[in-house]
Amino acid sequence: MSITYLEAIREAQARALADDPRVFIYGQDVGAFGGAFKATKNLAQRFPGRVLDSPISEDAMLGLAVGAAIQGMRPIVEMQFADFSTPAFNQIVNQAATLHWRTRVPCPITVRLPSGGTSGSGPFHSQSMEAIYAHYPGLIVMTPATVEDAYSMLLEAVAIDDPVIFCEHKYLYYHLKAERLPTEAMPTGKARIARTGRDMTLVAYSAMVHEALAVAEELATEGTEIEVVDLRSVKPLDTDTVMASVARTGRLLCVGEAFPWGGVTAEVIARVASEGFGLLDAPPQRLNAKDTPVPYHPSLWAAHRPTAGSIAAAARRLLRL
Amino acid sequence: MPRGTHTAPHPAPRITHHASRFTFHVSPPPDAMPSIPIIMPQLGESIAEATVINLLVPVGAQVQTDEDIIEVETSKATMNVASPCPGRVEQFVAKPGESYPVGAVLGHLQASQEDAARLGLDAPTAPKDGPDSEDSQPAGRTQTEGVQKGVQPTVRGLPVPANATGASYMSPRMKARMMELGLHAADLAGLPGSGAAGRVTIQDFEKFIANLEKHKLTQASSMRVAVADAMRRSWTRPLATVALPVCFDALLNHRKTCNPKPGPALYALRALALALAENSAPAGRLIGNKIVHPSSIDVGFAVEAEDGVLVPVIRNAEKRPLKDLVQRYDELVELARQRKLPADATGGSIATVTNFGTFGLTWATPIPLPEQTLVLGMGAARRVPNWDPAQAQFVPAMEANVTLSFDHRVLDGGAAGRLLARVAQLLASPEKL
Amino acid sequence: MQRNDCANAFGAGRLPPMGHALFNHNTVEEVSSVRDTYVKAYRVMLLARILDDKFASLYRMGKIHGGVFLGRGQEALSVSVGLALHKGDVFAPLIRDGAGRLAFGEPILDGVRTYLGSALGPMRARDGNIHRGRPRDGLLVMISHLGAMISVVNGALLAHRLKGITGTVGAACIGDGATSTGAFHEAVNQAAVEKLPLVLIVANNHYAYSTPTERQFACRSLLDKAAGYGIEGLAVDGTDLSACLKVVGDAVSQARAGRGPQLVVAELLRLCGHGEHDDASYIDPALRQSLAGRDCLKVAESYLLDNNWADAQALAAWRNEVVQKVEESVAKVQREPGPDPYKEDWCALASKHLSEGHDRSESR
Repeated sequence: MSITYLEAIREAQARALADDPRVFIYGQDVGAFGGAFKATKNLAQRFPGRVLDSPISEDAMLGLAVGAAIQGMRPIVEMQFADFSTPAFNQIVNQAATLHWRTRVPCPITVRLPSGGTSGSGPFHSQSMEAIYAHYPGLIVMTPATVEDAYSMLLEAVAIDDPVIFCEHKYLYYHLKAERLPTEAMPTGKARIARTGRDMTLVAYSAMVHEALAVAEELATEGTEIEVVDLRSVKPLDTDTVMASVARTGRLLCVGEAFPWGGVTAEVIARVASEGFGLLDAPPQRLNAKDTPVPYHPSLWAAHRPTAGSIAAAARRLLRL
Repeated sequence: MPRGTHTAPHPAPRITHHASRFTFHVSPPPDAMPSIPIIMPQLGESIAEATVINLLVPVGAQVQTDEDIIEVETSKATMNVASPCPGRVEQFVAKPGESYPVGAVLGHLQASQEDAARLGLDAPTAPKDGPDSEDSQPAGRTQTEGVQKGVQPTVRGLPVPANATGASYMSPRMKARMMELGLHAADLAGLPGSGAAGRVTIQDFEKFIANLEKHKLTQASSMRVAVADAMRRSWTRPLATVALPVCFDALLNHRKTCNPKPGPALYALRALALALAENSAPAGRLIGNKIVHPSSIDVGFAVEAEDGVLVPVIRNAEKRPLKDLVQRYDELVELARQRKLPADATGGSIATVTNFGTFGLTWATPIPLPEQTLVLGMGAARRVPNWDPAQAQFVPAMEANVTLSFDHRVLDGGAAGRLLARVAQLLASPEKL
Repeated sequence: MQRNDCANAFGAGRLPPMGHALFNHNTVEEVSSVRDTYVKAYRVMLLARILDDKFASLYRMGKIHGGVFLGRGQEALSVSVGLALHKGDVFAPLIRDGAGRLAFGEPILDGVRTYLGSALGPMRARDGNIHRGRPRDGLLVMISHLGAMISVVNGALLAHRLKGITGTVGAACIGDGATSTGAFHEAVNQAAVEKLPLVLIVANNHYAYSTPTERQFACRSLLDKAAGYGIEGLAVDGTDLSACLKVVGDAVSQARAGRGPQLVVAELLRLCGHGEHDDASYIDPALRQSLAGRDCLKVAESYLLDNNWADAQALAAWRNEVVQKVEESVAKVQREPGPDPYKEDWCALASKHLSEGHDRSESR
């Protein structure tokens, strides 16, 4: 019996609804239709009155979530695509993220963002927004890479008293499967060593973790052992695990699917360079998507984001430095 | 089309460069005279470019191999670029007053096929178009077969690397580890690096350290470590040595008449002190762009002690004659051998004397103390035949090499030689020391 | 996975609960007569006005950091909202709703402390001037983006519904300018679709900062928007306290009775600059001469006198009492400390264990 990344997300929401009467889901097409990606399929039937269709009003959707949270609820807001969270940006960063700091009242909302590119999606259905939200104080940003993390981290997102931006990767929805759901999980804020190695640290998150693992496999046949670190959450970012890994390997390559300027990769490298300078045997490197909107055509799209091939090339270059 | 936009104007007509008129690349007839590029040669170590001063021959001139055709200037000197083969100067690309890097094409010669073939230059070089030129088209446009794209560096010059990726450096991790272990770059000399540009990587380093464990290891004495550190620091300077063979008969005879006998090094010490009293500049130190002059003529002398060398000091050595110094000298030697030198008896000297002749050595290049510019060395005296012009024959003499090793930043061979000559002169009249 | 208990999540608030402590022992529910309501409303308006005058004066003395935003001219409308709401309702006041806040039960000290940057204020000096409130008591804290608070009120009302709480109302106050925002549009539409008991009070003072309404919207009247959203619309003369009490009271009752969102559009003029830094010279003099330009406080005073609900001495006495109260409050707060940056935890998360604790170098 196998379960996909998407099903894990659905199961986590079902469990949250079942366990906690304060939880409700609010999003476009999430009710009877079950959501654009079927992430809430059958949940409206199973939990009547708690899975609500919203109008196409991302700003009002998030404002509503904040208002409900102030009254003690734990709303899960599904944005249909991460890219569409921009109309809600004001409510997320100015309303939700500042509420606790300004008023001492926590804002336990969860915002699910179907993120990342799939072939043919184009500029407005492919974005990775974790860096933008991580930049603002007061938000937690999660980027699960595995079926297990998609399940347990979403449950934890609902339980956390702060606004959580849950970046689920659309490509992984149907492509990633696991045997069963986990019964325990690493805490939020801890990164996972997805594969151990001694020659280089390859830090990645979300879908890029799988590309990174493919690269590690390939380079292992060449006698190079790459340690792959899955950040799991981008904020908080587990600097300690990354630093310990670089202490073992001396070389750092950080990969992200998002745009290059000031992304997660820049943040990781900044931290390692300033706090772990003496650990580095070579200049730290990063690889991101190109500095253009995400292209539509499959050949352009394949070249736009990092892939196992381009990551392997970058890794080999780093090994030669 | 959206309202308000207008169509793009027609592109301006392109100017096509015909090969026959702008001969950056040639389409030669079948019995062709290939075009040989005149390349800026490698003009000296670390020279990367030169400025063209003069074009020494006119376009169209016939030149021979190695005939000077362009005068250029580098930071070191003016020199000439010569013709690589016989031929006719076809054109100059270089302009007087402009700088060009090593390997740049300065012009072209028209030469015979055989000459070109002999030089390995029989394929004419590329057209003016670079890869980002608007006119560039896929290969195959040019009429001449074998035309290469891009300027090829000549066999003569060395290409200057534009960007050395992974240039040799010591990584932060290496530095941290070396500091942890108390190691210096000198300790790693001869450790081959597997990184880019021969860089020693942390893996190389750790393997090296691990490997050491396989050998017999003994603890170096603290004296040894101290000397090692001093020599390492001293060696960071450019050091040189000059030497003079000096006749020691007078010295040795004088010594026989003394009781107690002064150590031979004491003679050298006094001679050096007197010479420096006359002109102390050679013992100055260079710090940045300042010469720090010595304030008193304190001269040290090397004494072998256990696992290293100690350097006791005679203060104001120019002020007291040799005979007044003998007792003090002997005391210091004894104290040094017993490692009981008081603090005020070492340090602060402006030069050192070392008698390597006691080991039987005739020649050596001692290393000055890191805080000093000079070390005067004395070799073992041997009986050698000396030409005596007065008697017009060889006569036996006792001769020893006296060496002066010095920091070449502070003085050059001339000044060193003059100091050494004065010391030799003083040693020739030991009764005056 | 741990679930946080609802009560634990909100903890014991460190702020004392908000009470209607202004007028001894009278809670809003107990006041029944029209006259009592009117008098109570007037006295809150008076307090709001005197407080505003004090803030303006402190501003001119340079005692206030940042902007000062007064509600002069809007007191009648605002106080009507605060009085119509009950405990358990949700209120999102905006910039000029000092009177409404006081009527809803906000302590005077909250405003004084927030303006003067006292560490003891509800915002702990982390935010200032009119960005203040007590969310746990239903008094929402505005953010500066206009229109953004309406959907937050919607969310609170939806939460009540999901929790089975009935009979509550949510009121949001905005100005004519805010009706142009996307946030306004989305939120009103959302409230209408969900049939939430939202009362939206639009104070049409004809200017958004310096922008006259001709540059703000093209519809004949803001009330026309109600039809567009499918909700009720009511107009009122914002300078007439009696009318305001009636119309706003009706709107709140309608919403409470489940008739869906209510839009109230009030005509009035701002009797001050957009902020105290602004001299409002752009306001059309003709408007100042019109009905909308009347000072609602003076109108109320005349009404009280005309109806023999108060005489000149009473008015003077109330005024003195209020002046004294304001002076005392300000004097008290001026002796209070500001925030100490070295004692701040500089943590924006409720979940401290997830905080990255930046300025890591300092902790080493």
